[in-house]
Amino acid sequence: MKTQHHGDGGVLERAGYFDVSGAHLYTVLHEVPDPVARVLLIGPFASERHNSYLPWVRWARYLAGKRMEVLRYDYRGVGESTGSFEEMTFEHWREDVLLLAEWLKARSPNVPLVLHGLEIGAVLAARAFNDGIGGSVLLWSPPASAHQALRSTLMRWVGLEHLYKSGEEAKSAAEYIRELEQGSFIEVEGYRWSSALWRDSSDVTLPSSMLDETTAALAYDRPVRVVKLDRRAAPLIKGGFVGYDEAKDFSWLFAPNSDWITASLAAQRGDSHVASD
Amino acid sequence: MLRAIEGRELITLDGDGVLLRGTFHKPQAHAPDAEPDPGTRNPVGLVLLNSLSLPRAAAGDSAVYWADSFASCGYPTFRFDLPGLGDTTGEIPTELLSFINAGGYGPVGSAKIKELVERFGLSGVILFGHCAGAVSALYAAAASGEECKGLILLDPYFHLPQAVRPKLRQKLSDWALQSRIGGLVSNVYDRIRDITLILRGDALPGNANSSLLSCWKGLASTGLPILLLKAPARKAPGTKPRVGEFDYLKHVLQIAGRKSQVAVQLIETADHSFANRAGRASVRRHTERWLSDSFPLTKRGEVAVNVLCTDTDNKKGYAKYQLDCLHG
Repeated sequence: MKTQHHGDGGVLERAGYFDVSGAHLYTVLHEVPDPVARVLLIGPFASERHNSYLPWVRWARYLAGKRMEVLRYDYRGVGESTGSFEEMTFEHWREDVLLLAEWLKARSPNVPLVLHGLEIGAVLAARAFNDGIGGSVLLWSPPASAHQALRSTLMRWVGLEHLYKSGEEAKSAAEYIRELEQGSFIEVEGYRWSSALWRDSSDVTLPSSMLDETTAALAYDRPVRVVKLDRRAAPLIKGGFVGYDEAKDFSWLFAPNSDWITASLAAQRGDSHVASD
Repeated sequence: MLRAIEGRELITLDGDGVLLRGTFHKPQAHAPDAEPDPGTRNPVGLVLLNSLSLPRAAAGDSAVYWADSFASCGYPTFRFDLPGLGDTTGEIPTELLSFINAGGYGPVGSAKIKELVERFGLSGVILFGHCAGAVSALYAAAASGEECKGLILLDPYFHLPQAVRPKLRQKLSDWALQSRIGGLVSNVYDRIRDITLILRGDALPGNANSSLLSCWKGLASTGLPILLLKAPARKAPGTKPRVGEFDYLKHVLQIAGRKSQVAVQLIETADHSFANRAGRASVRRHTERWLSDSFPLTKRGEVAVNVLCTDTDNKKGYAKYQLDCLHG
C-alpha cells in the first residue's frame, strides 16, 4: 500500500504519522527535490481547522511549487492526529512544533527552515522563533495570546448558540467561562475544552517583540513578517460562509508571502546567520 | 513517518488516474497487515464521504470518532477525501454546492467503491454521508449498483439550496432570529407559505432536486437498507419540516415504495453538524444498532450480510447470506 503520491505539479505528497509521547501526529510532507527552503506550517486552533483546511493545503502546494519543502500537520488530539483533545494543553502543542521543526531541519541542516503560523499557530511559531528556532518566521493574524483566540472562538460560538437555541437552552459566555474557571469542561464546536486549557492559554502570549514588524526588526537578526488577514482571507480565518469560499483565488495572498519567504532566504544567505537549531 | 499505527492506516486509491487519500480504520482483530487473508472474504465496509468542503475528519472530528467506533464493532471503515477536498488533489468548481447537487461526485464515488471492494475483498460497502455528503452518497450509490449494500444519511436534503443567500434575505433572517418582532413577522410569513403549500397540494416545489429524488427512488424501492438520521431544525417539530416548508421526508418515504427498508431516526440531542458530543454519541448508537440488525456480526469475525442479489428471472431481491469468517 502506498501513502505517497504526486500532487499538483509533480510534487510528492507523503502522508504519515509522527510518533510523539502518547499520540501520533498526522503529517503531510510536500517533498521537493533539492529544496531552497523547508517550511513548517503551524495551523490554526482545532475548531478553525476544518474551515481553513482547503486554502491551507493549497498554500502548502503553492510553496512546494516554488521549490520549498513543506510540512503541515494536525496538532495532538485534533483532526487526523491521535490523542484526546480534552487532555491536551498548549504545552503539548508547543512540543509538537519543536519536535517537527527539529525533524524537518534534520532532513538537511544547510537548508533554511522557515516557520509559518496561522492564528494560534502564529503564536506558537513566534514563540518557537523567539527561542531560536528557524531562520525566518511568517505570522498570519497572530492574536496577542492564545487566550484571546480562545475567547474569540467562544464568543462566536455563544453567538451561534443564541441564534439557534431558545433562551433557556443557550448559555451566556459568562456562564461558560464560569464553568471553566470552576474546573469543568465545556464543549465548543465539538471539542471539550478543559479548565487547564483555558487557564494555560493566558500564558501563551505573542512575544512583545513580535507585535509589529518594526519592533521585530530591531529585536531579531532574522526576518520576521506579520500579516493581519481581513475578511477577504476567509475561510483561512473566520468570516466567510462555508460552501462558498472553498474555491476562492488566494493568489493575492500567496504570491507576496511566497516572495517574502524567497527574499528572506536571500537575506539569510547574505548575512550567513541562519539560526542553528 | 509511519503509514500505519494501531487501528489506522493511511491509504490511497489510485485507479483510473484519480488518486484519493483516505484513512482506513481497521476492524477490531483485523490482520495487522490490513490486507485480507486469501482464505477470507466478504466483510462489508463503511465508507464516510466529505460533507461539502470539510476535510474527511469532519466538524469537531466527528467522522474520526464514528469511524473508530464502527471499526471497533468489527466493520472495516474508510474515510476518503474526494477530488479537490481535504488532502486529495484536484480542482474543485467555484460552485461546489451546485456541483455536488448535480451529482458531480457520483461517478468518481462509484469507481472508487468498486476499487475499494476489489482491493479489500469486501462484499460491498455502506455509504455514510452528512448533508452534502449524503447527496454525494446517494448519487454514488445509484451509479454503483451491487457494490453498495446500504446507506446512512445524516440530514440529507432533496432541494437545490442557494449557495449564498442574497444579503437582504440574510439580514431579514438574522433580524427574525434576533428580535421578538422579527420572530412574529417570521411566524406570519411561515403561515402565508403554509397556505401556498396547501393550495399546491402534493406538487413538488420548483427547487426540488429531481435527479436526486430519482436516485433515491431507484435505490430505496429495491429494498436497499437505508438509515436516515435527522437533527432537529429550527421551528421544526420532530422530523416534520418548519411550517410552510415542503415535507421532503414524507415525500421520499412515499416514493420509496412498499419494499423499502428505510429507517428514520430523529437525533434530538444533535444540531445539524452532528458534531456535539451528545449528538455524535447518539448517531453512533443508532447506527451501530442498525448495522447490527441489517449487517449483523454473528460471531467473532463472521458477518451475515443482506446481499442485493439477482435471481434467475433477473429480478432483484434480497437474500440473507452467511458469509465466511473474516479471519478464517
